Amino acid sequence: MVNDMSKTPKVSLRGLYKIFGPDDQAMMEHVRAGMGKPELLDEHRHVLGLQDINVDMQAGEITVVMGLSGSGKSTLIRHLNRLIEPTAGEILIDGEDVMQLNQTDLRRMRQEKMSMVFQKFALLPHRTVLQNAAMALEVQDVPKAKREAEATKWLVRVGLDGYENRYPSELSGGMQQRVGIARALTSNSDIMLMDEAFSALDPLIRTDMQNLLLELQLELKKTIVFITHDLDEALKLADHLVILKDGAVIQQGEPQGILLNPADPYIEDFVSDINRARVLRVRSVMSPLVDGTIYAGDVEAHDNLESLIALSEGDTRLIYRVLKNDVPIGQMDMKVLVKALVPRISSAA
Amino acid sequence: MAFYDGLFNALGLREWCDRDASDAPMSMADLLKQNNANSVDPNAEVFPFPSLDNLNDACSSIGQSRDVTAAIETGFLAAKPALKAVLDPITQPLSWMLDGALWLFETTPWWLMISALLILAYYASRSVGVTIFVALSLFVLGLVDHYDVAMQTLSIIFVCTSISVMLGVPIGILMSKFDRFQRFTVPVLDLLQTLPTFVYLIPLIFLFSVTESKLYGIAIILYAIVPVIRLTDLGIRLVDKDVIEAANAFGMNAKQRLLKVELPLALPNIMAGVNQTIMMSLAMVVIASLVSAPGLGRNVLVGIRQLELGVGIVGGIGIVLLAVILDRTSKAALSRVDKASHANGH
Repeated sequence: MVNDMSKTPKVSLRGLYKIFGPDDQAMMEHVRAGMGKPELLDEHRHVLGLQDINVDMQAGEITVVMGLSGSGKSTLIRHLNRLIEPTAGEILIDGEDVMQLNQTDLRRMRQEKMSMVFQKFALLPHRTVLQNAAMALEVQDVPKAKREAEATKWLVRVGLDGYENRYPSELSGGMQQRVGIARALTSNSDIMLMDEAFSALDPLIRTDMQNLLLELQLELKKTIVFITHDLDEALKLADHLVILKDGAVIQQGEPQGILLNPADPYIEDFVSDINRARVLRVRSVMSPLVDGTIYAGDVEAHDNLESLIALSEGDTRLIYRVLKNDVPIGQMDMKVLVKALVPRISSAA
Repeated sequence: MAFYDGLFNALGLREWCDRDASDAPMSMADLLKQNNANSVDPNAEVFPFPSLDNLNDACSSIGQSRDVTAAIETGFLAAKPALKAVLDPITQPLSWMLDGALWLFETTPWWLMISALLILAYYASRSVGVTIFVALSLFVLGLVDHYDVAMQTLSIIFVCTSISVMLGVPIGILMSKFDRFQRFTVPVLDLLQTLPTFVYLIPLIFLFSVTESKLYGIAIILYAIVPVIRLTDLGIRLVDKDVIEAANAFGMNAKQRLLKVELPLALPNIMAGVNQTIMMSLAMVVIASLVSAPGLGRNVLVGIRQLELGVGIVGGIGIVLLAVILDRTSKAALSRVDKASHANGH
């Protein structure tokens, strides 16, 4: 479940707390003593935004933070570049504590290490697509010719070839967000923060954008922190999934693991509506090889269960051999597969 | 026998009241009263309002109302040298600018001046229609020999509006950045906007000589600067928070944010403020003719004072024409800016 400890995380949050209100430091005492969000609001008129967040985000991975509105996910992502100051805790980026930076260094970090994509695009309406995309480099005083060449390159990459001189208002929502992504990529930062970047788009466009992101990610290997309230989106994109509720992490880990072993009824509830056959992969539900088994065929470890059901034509008596890089790593009994499709409900709870 | 005598007696203040009483009459009214002391004043109220004058009748130690106005006047006169020493040098450039602009507008040959104004009108509005309207209006003004006075009015508006914008925009920016400064400034702006326009002139007449052009310059600027300050403040405060957040997320510093994001996005509002400022300068320049501001307003004043109906009406129509020219041109410029950034809104 937890990331393997051999890698140093790119971004690391340690014991992060955020309390909204005039006297947040004093409120920390109550929170550390175990006071919950509703009590803090009732008795002290302070809002507990985040409590004891510990998350490691690995380089080159997409970490998805998921939660319903009000769960603190947008607050969390704004801590990474200190658009919101935490009440307590550490934010480490490449092992360096962001809280120790002065204003100048903080600005430099925002310019060079992190870029951000926003739900409502937040493009500058009075500037062309090209000027918007070049903004990140303009802030760094990169000469015009150079920054526009860089911006053009990324605009082409996100599929906006030929739109350089249009204004944002002349583009559709999906295209505006492509500008937003090009703007973030132009800054050449390692870390990309995406705050509900696709939530404002209609479903078909959203799928396009998710595919675009995954395609870019294959090549660029950025460290992406992606915020969403949509579980399908989270499962599609996440290498590491963090689920927030009322400002606290209630479960984090590999998405398949969370789907198969939800830690709490809240998550069970969440995952029960998911098309599990499409999301679950063979590798997550397979069992160890048993000698002497007769296999109906070979399947790939990263195939989803849906494709396997199609392959077996619904015959639950079959057992397949699972290959990864042409090496057998396990077997997939169709009976086990069918059981895995039923969400686990802890009705006892 | 005054109504309030009994009150002071009851309070045991009679002695204090009569401390330096004298029977010598202080005013004409006193003298008349003294002479008619025996007859009953038919206008005497049964229960007079306890005003200073009525109380003074009963107790001469209490001052009269005219002492209050006198004290204000003395106070003002006493403060005048100090105020003048500070304000005179600061405001002197205003006189030079007004006089210089007046000289420039008057000595430039009419054909050159009108061409320049038409080019300016076209440049600001980018509208052929507006430019033709400006040309026609100037032609009409010239036809009835009001070209010179119209140019005088225009030169004053030109200087006062420029200064209002140069001072007002920075003040508006400061207000939008510092809430405390805004809380302190808003009542002052409210005061400037609600004061009757004549009232501006009273302290200014005391401070400066009526022959100085800065006298009316200050009055016009004080009156006209308010909208541009208010709308700059409002415009910057209304800039989309998401865009500001994006500017911060990409590491802009305060100056970059102001110049690259806030001011461009606030421009439609600032332009609306400039339009209002121009119109208010024009309104005030007419009233300022009372304190020797030249231009069309003076013709209107002559019309009123000497009952020269025709002169007054032609002057009035001239002002209306100028107002429409200025309004059309600045509105056209505003809607051009507005379109450029509205088209771009979310």
